[in-house]
Amino acid sequence: MTDTANHQALHGAVVEVLEKMFFIDAGDEAGDAPVSDTALTDLGVFVQVAFHGDPPGVFHMSLARDVATRIAADFLGLDADSVTAEQVNDVAKELANMICGAVLSRLESRATLRLSTPDLVDGDAAVLPGTVCAVETGSGILTARIAMEKRECSPTAKSAS
Amino acid sequence: MAYRVLITDDSPAMRAFVRRVIELSGFELSHCFEAGDGEEALELLRREWVDAILTDINMPGVDGEEFLRRLAADEMLRSIPTIVISTDATENLISRLMSLGARGYVTKPFRPETLRSELERILGVPVD
Repeated sequence: MTDTANHQALHGAVVEVLEKMFFIDAGDEAGDAPVSDTALTDLGVFVQVAFHGDPPGVFHMSLARDVATRIAADFLGLDADSVTAEQVNDVAKELANMICGAVLSRLESRATLRLSTPDLVDGDAAVLPGTVCAVETGSGILTARIAMEKRECSPTAKSAS
Repeated sequence: MAYRVLITDDSPAMRAFVRRVIELSGFELSHCFEAGDGEEALELLRREWVDAILTDINMPGVDGEEFLRRLAADEMLRSIPTIVISTDATENLISRLMSLGARGYVTKPFRPETLRSELERILGVPVD
């Protein structure tokens, strides 16, 4: 799987999930330089979803807490002022889970994959290798990353796919 | 006619969202019950009748697959139509859950109208 294909899948999945489930029109990418996760460490929400199968890997999503709060408010149909921290974290985990599932569907690699339960992680864990996509949500930037283990391409595996 | 629906999902946010999109879609809802896993849902179903169940799959405790198995084993409950809502669109999983008795499958992300049409389909609501 090329990095370009992964990037297109990542961007398409973020846009699809935000549009269908959060009623957010988020077509634009936020440029080549995504927001630094280090800068967000104290004020950010970071979610990680591991997936197991062929190939296994890790999906990671980060966004500033105020952006996560506004997205949670959209999802729940509430005012941003009335959304609790627990609701923000809960919605962020759902968002990451849906984006990860949508990415893997686009990469047609779901046949043997299982997603783990999304976990909130420290910002430092966000510094992962892999494909990165930063999308402008209208409230701020959402950064998504996916890292998949390299597959050995044997003739047997190729003929079976 | 308005319907009584049970939403089973370990995420309170997801339960609130599903309830909201059902209401936004214009589906006629008379009562919406919520449960955090299959066990809680089964306890509720012993007290309350519902017309349809919407359930997640990946839940702690009694997960969606086991919930479907227990529904199928219960003479009183097996006739309640159930829709699975999940990010997992694996064909093997979908066919396994349908064979356990699920009547519909909605993959996240979904549009409100998709959920409404699936609810109407399994309930046999006449299309306008």
